[in-house]
Amino acid sequence: MTYLADNSPIIACSTGLTSNTAIGVIRLSGNNVLDLVSEVISIEIHKIKPRYAYFCKIIYKNFVYDEVIFTFFKGPNSYNGEDIIELAVHGNQLNISRIISLFVDHCGFRKALPGEFTQRALKNKKLSMSQVEGLDLLLNASNIFSLDQGFSLLGGDLQEDFNKLYDCFLRHKSSLELGFDFLDDVGEEQFSALFSSSLSELSNCINSLYNRVKNRGDKLIKPDIAIYGLPNAGKSSFFNAILNSNRAIVSNIAGTTRDYLSEDIFIENNIFSLIDTAGLRVTDDVIEHSGIELAKKKIDLSFYSILIVNPFDESFDEDFVSSLSKIDLVLFTHSDIDGFNSSKQRCIGLLKDFSKISGPIEPQNAGPIEPQSTGPIEPQSTGPIEPQSAGPIEPHNVVIIDIDLTRVNESSIEDVKKSINSKYLKLLSFNPILIDRHRDTLIRIYSNFNDYKRLASTQSDMAIISSELNIVGHCISELIGIISPDDVLQNIFSNFCIGK
Amino acid sequence: MFDIVIVGGGHAGIEAAYIASQFNGLKVGIVTLKGVPLASAPCNPSIGGVGKGQVVRELDILGGLTGKLADLAGIQFRTLNESKGYAVQSTRVQIDKIKYAKFAEEIINDIDNITVIREKALELAGLDGNYSIRTESSTWNTRKVIFTVGTFLNGKMHTGSVQTEGGREQCESSKSLSEYFSSIDTVSARFKTGTPARLDKNSINYDKLEIQPSDDSVESFHALHSPDFRNLNQVSCYLTYTNDNTMNIIRDNKEKSPMFNGQIKGVGARYCPSIEDKAYRYPDKNKHHVFIEPESEELDTMYPSGISTSLPLDVQLKMVHSIEGLENAEILVPGYAVEYDVIDTTKLSRALEHQDFPGIYFAGQVNGTSGYEEAAGQGYIAGVNAALKLLEREPLVLDRSESYIGVMIEDLVSNLRDEPYRLFTARSENRLYNREDNTVIRMWSYRTKLGLNKDLDRYLEGFKLTYEVLESKLASTYLHPNDKFLGMHNIDVPRRTTIADILKMTTIDPVLTLKNYLEYAGFRIDKRIIKTLAISIKYAGYITKSDDQYKKLNKLDNKQIVVEKLLDSENISFECKQRIEKIRPENFGQLKRIDGIRPATLAVVAGDNY
Repeated sequence: MTYLADNSPIIACSTGLTSNTAIGVIRLSGNNVLDLVSEVISIEIHKIKPRYAYFCKIIYKNFVYDEVIFTFFKGPNSYNGEDIIELAVHGNQLNISRIISLFVDHCGFRKALPGEFTQRALKNKKLSMSQVEGLDLLLNASNIFSLDQGFSLLGGDLQEDFNKLYDCFLRHKSSLELGFDFLDDVGEEQFSALFSSSLSELSNCINSLYNRVKNRGDKLIKPDIAIYGLPNAGKSSFFNAILNSNRAIVSNIAGTTRDYLSEDIFIENNIFSLIDTAGLRVTDDVIEHSGIELAKKKIDLSFYSILIVNPFDESFDEDFVSSLSKIDLVLFTHSDIDGFNSSKQRCIGLLKDFSKISGPIEPQNAGPIEPQSTGPIEPQSTGPIEPQSAGPIEPHNVVIIDIDLTRVNESSIEDVKKSINSKYLKLLSFNPILIDRHRDTLIRIYSNFNDYKRLASTQSDMAIISSELNIVGHCISELIGIISPDDVLQNIFSNFCIGK
Repeated sequence: MFDIVIVGGGHAGIEAAYIASQFNGLKVGIVTLKGVPLASAPCNPSIGGVGKGQVVRELDILGGLTGKLADLAGIQFRTLNESKGYAVQSTRVQIDKIKYAKFAEEIINDIDNITVIREKALELAGLDGNYSIRTESSTWNTRKVIFTVGTFLNGKMHTGSVQTEGGREQCESSKSLSEYFSSIDTVSARFKTGTPARLDKNSINYDKLEIQPSDDSVESFHALHSPDFRNLNQVSCYLTYTNDNTMNIIRDNKEKSPMFNGQIKGVGARYCPSIEDKAYRYPDKNKHHVFIEPESEELDTMYPSGISTSLPLDVQLKMVHSIEGLENAEILVPGYAVEYDVIDTTKLSRALEHQDFPGIYFAGQVNGTSGYEEAAGQGYIAGVNAALKLLEREPLVLDRSESYIGVMIEDLVSNLRDEPYRLFTARSENRLYNREDNTVIRMWSYRTKLGLNKDLDRYLEGFKLTYEVLESKLASTYLHPNDKFLGMHNIDVPRRTTIADILKMTTIDPVLTLKNYLEYAGFRIDKRIIKTLAISIKYAGYITKSDDQYKKLNKLDNKQIVVEKLLDSENISFECKQRIEKIRPENFGQLKRIDGIRPATLAVVAGDNY
């Protein structure tokens, strides 16, 4: 990273650069920043006390740029250990960028790179590496759960699980080495026994961590709820009803929603993204067709899918049902109309096999519930993986709710929310790992480890086997953050927004 | 006036002298104890072994002596780890230790610019470029000094409660050496090693032992010998086991073992435990291997490998008699343990020169290693570098990524040892490449760069040339799926398959297949080149893969670090600073390999946060 050794003073806007706001905060950080800004502020710097707010003007060549609130934090008692000035300016984007340019052009500041303020905090030991990662999660947390994990990471819990993985790896690696360098001492028999027992131990460990990442834990930070169904089934009406707003355009012309709409929705303190998709039907309309493709993708990726069915619609038939991939909840509309129940029964008949093939998330995976499949060793009883036997991966009952969209009943909406929340809580019980770097690395460990196991069962050259195991080892050390801290840092800092 | 004087005529000493003498005009002296032959083997009668076979071959290609001597004195050749893959296969040769020493004497005595001085070294004086070594009858002036004094530095031997001064059975102590070593830092703990009792070969019941014959197909060590070179009659070794009774005898006499009753304070190697260690540390295991190895045609002794001990003689006898086949065995020489001082190798440069005493080099067991091969490897490095320095040339430093000797030297100079150091294949990060079969390819350029221009150099150049021509030929020769050769050997391949592709297939033996193909195609190629090439081709993909990983992972390794800055940093723990100050790593890779450096320190240094 090029700026690691660069100590020059930096400047950035901390409140975002996309929209105009009442107040914008500009931060300046470096050594002796007060001296650097003395020419352009209307107060005498020797009068400035740390942590006091001053009202003053920013002036250059008799031109007043803005009237601002000026606060000075003296290092090392500041966020990142350096001297920091915070300017609360008028939050017009033009104003903000003009002020930043002034400091860059005439006071010797340069614009901060992404995450550079925090990088300096790390450098000055204001934060540790795992705290920075935890902080990243914390600042981007959109629900209670990731807040919790952010905090627990700051305390180093996950690190402990990873260290356990490293120990298992070392044990297995050692067993292999034993067979090369110490065969005279241990003999072939003991070597094979150690090799296979440590292999299944490592296998269990990797599987148990993998189970915490494979269920799209990333989707648990603001998970998607997809609303779908045939055109004109009432998806948008329901979307509006549950949001209690008129966000979607509603009409009785089938195919009104061509793009998808999404809105944030709070359910029990957690934030979800509610998505209204285009109606699914065969169409010649190019735009509508691409809308449908997009809808299907959204449904596949969603955490929770709600199928809206008008039971009187004859095009809800076998063909349509067979094109569906997942359903968590079926909402039957028009419950106020005569013959609703018999029509509804026809539809349920078509859907009757669905619960067997449907898992809410990645149904193709055999899932975290089963005891670890490989190895003679007992499934770990303490693992975080099997806390609840009735997990979401088992064939589950599709929830069925009736609704009259013309007079929405508050309790039906509550039932929908309850079902969403209950699925969410079940997923959380797997203690998923949310940090992207950890997830990516664990997935790589899992896949390299499987390659390794495959090789170990076919290759007779143990030296090659051992070399392949090193590849797993390299991934593990990346996870623990020992070996290539610069990569990790770079990755983290580029995921930070400027001037946090 | 000598150019280089070597104190000690063991495996390190003669390698140092042998390579230094190849530089024309350098005058080399070996000062060694009276009555001790050169290159004697006071412990196991074998050369090579896992990791060590690689060292012997590396030495051989670099122009060393050990491989040649092992061939001449070899009485049994074996390949260890044969079923485990080429990269971890190693050659081990049982030697006739009396003949081994005789051949060493002959070869060294034949070299005009080496003088062997059989006197005890008493005193060292002077400075770099002009040292003088006083022995019993004379004083010798020399420009450089290499110490290869083995276990003789404050050596003390133990058999039961009997203690004798000295580094080896029936040898004079070199205690006076220790006095002039008093200004040189030694490791605070003393090291310990041991050797088993020697048994009368006529008192063993061989019918009850498992026989281990020599393997005719194993390649000899020396590059200029033919691969099937055998000088002496080949003999068998034998295998028997300890049992409940054996181990209980040892456990019952725990208070008589100097190692466990406090008489010996030295640290032994965990990887080379005495039979007492095995008995006390592993109470549940009573069956241990005991290899019975002949020591020499000229001796009546057999070496029982695996039961090294310092118990009193009567207990040793009882223990031996409990073992199948050894019921009536007589002990001719009791086993003993020896304690000795070792120097602080972190004060040595990668040329093995002492940084506080320029012009003085250290090599061998005095550096805390165990094993003849490790000693020989260091002897070579000290010898060649003393010579190169006299000639004002660049030092020869072997990289750890391409040689076991390089691995060893770096490990020695970058870490303080708390137990005797032995090479293992696991110490090499680049094991798939650091093989026995490709030693010429790995060591060739180091040797020819010395410009010594001997027969060896011409052989190596020929080898390398043939190898490269053949390599490109194999990569560009396509075999038609109907080719007769493929039919003869039942190999199925798709179109556009080269010979090199075929050698990479997991289902075939690459060496045999290449040999067959070259015969079929009418080429006559050196067996060794065929083997090197076939295995290199088979491993190429795996090596590249592991190399890429290694490089990716270690891209920080060459990052330079400033030790002074590290020592001033508030972000580095006191313990880490102590180690850093001692070892003074120059780059991140060296820092990383220092024992006990915490991950936090590495993170701080990697991020320049110190």
